[in-house]
Amino acid sequence: MNTQRILALMKMELYKILREPAYLFLMILFPAVLTITFGFAFGDPELGMSFNLMAPGLFAYACIFIIMTVAQSFADFREQGLLRRLNTTPMSSTDFMFSNILSNMIISTLQVVIVFVLALLFGFRSNSDIVGILLAFLLMALFSLSSVGLGLITASVSKSAGTATGLSFIFILPQMFFGTFIPITDTTRPIAMFLPSYYATDALTSIFSGASLTSANILIDFAFISIVSIVIVIIGILLFKKSGNK
Amino acid sequence: MSETKIKPYEKPENIINPNSEFSIEVQNLRKIFRGKKGYDDVIAVDDVSFKVKSGELFGFLGPNGAGKTTVINMLIGLLKPTSGIAIVNGYDIHDGLSHIKELIGVCPQEPSVFKFLTGIENIELFGKLHSMKKAEIKDKTNKLFEILDLSKASRRKTKGYSGGMLRQLNMIIALIHDPKIAFLDEPTVGMDPRARRATWKFIGSLKTKSKTIFLTTHYIEEAEALCDRVAVIDYGKIIEIGAPQDLIKKYEVENLEGVFLKITGRRIMEGV
Repeated sequence: MNTQRILALMKMELYKILREPAYLFLMILFPAVLTITFGFAFGDPELGMSFNLMAPGLFAYACIFIIMTVAQSFADFREQGLLRRLNTTPMSSTDFMFSNILSNMIISTLQVVIVFVLALLFGFRSNSDIVGILLAFLLMALFSLSSVGLGLITASVSKSAGTATGLSFIFILPQMFFGTFIPITDTTRPIAMFLPSYYATDALTSIFSGASLTSANILIDFAFISIVSIVIVIIGILLFKKSGNK
Repeated sequence: MSETKIKPYEKPENIINPNSEFSIEVQNLRKIFRGKKGYDDVIAVDDVSFKVKSGELFGFLGPNGAGKTTVINMLIGLLKPTSGIAIVNGYDIHDGLSHIKELIGVCPQEPSVFKFLTGIENIELFGKLHSMKKAEIKDKTNKLFEILDLSKASRRKTKGYSGGMLRQLNMIIALIHDPKIAFLDEPTVGMDPRARRATWKFIGSLKTKSKTIFLTTHYIEEAEALCDRVAVIDYGKIIEIGAPQDLIKKYEVENLEGVFLKITGRRIMEGV
């Protein structure tokens, strides 16, 4: 790995998100708009559905959309011949993947900060201390890894950026409905248990409710997200390496 | 399209010599794309052999679909040959690609630049991927932008560039790191005559810097004006190779178009 190359590629990735309106909306504005909407709709405890219960799901929900942006972006780069061109430079595929993962982790952290600040404004209160909050941020960064991996898998099987956008919903919708802010029932739990977002939301709920950070529940969730994210990223990288030059 | 393996690759012995007088050595190179269900296989490159001397401006002249880009793609590692040997600056393309990528600059046929970056940012990115220092990139960028008359647009996002400007930027990116060997794949297609002349002048000036340039083109004037030697390629086969003036003399014709016409009975620009 070459630090100069990784930093140059990260800069390019971050510019893409900041300068392309569609990416900027999905990555930065969308989580903010969503939190504000939910804050107005459910922020009042008299409605019976506490915003405090929904907030952890909102954090995870924001990170899920990384799947779409990664899939779109990689498919778009491939369509424009940019991946082939990058492949003619001394850059290694590890440099490229690592820079992408790091820049997406930065974005996911930014998303979580935005959602967290807005949630606080709408009355969300965490019972956790600063260590717990930092752990929540780390958890989201790890969770975003699985989203990058799923994005790469989507890009590998998509022939165009448009197809990638559509196909990404295969991974987005189940995680959205069965693992984030919609309460899990006994019927939906068996499905949710196969989704990383369920464990991310579960761990966040425990952290924000003030549970011990070394409790079995949090540790298991952490372990599950870490293992699943790494496995998904590896699968994504392998699949993408095969299709990247096409 | 996927490839069909004709015979297993055998690593050449005692052929790799980084101090060779040749920058590129190609021997019996073949590339076959296997046709999808119901379609025949396509022989894109058929038993091609040639050598390019260091510091030479070597042209690959032929109509669209002749196999020019496929040869380049094999030499720069984007495609695996079905069979044959190719050595770039003494390194075998099968196991020396990491060395080869340090030495080459590639200008693809279609401009491949990041549209959300400015011209300068694109160049900075590729310069850094080639381990250049920021000051070095800045210095070379300014010079190249001036030569190709792109200075005014350098700080604009490339989304707003014209086709000709994109092609010029495409070439600057390929040359920013001062590569030993430059692969220029149809660099002037789509340029207006003025930009094309400026680009020819610029490519010609690279000769004085002892760079090896591998240029593909289907423009007769381009090949005649720039190349020390040309290989004329058709249907994946090299049908003639030599200095433009020698070929013109040999076939007693007016230009390289005449050479192509005399050998194949067709014009290069037919179907372009």
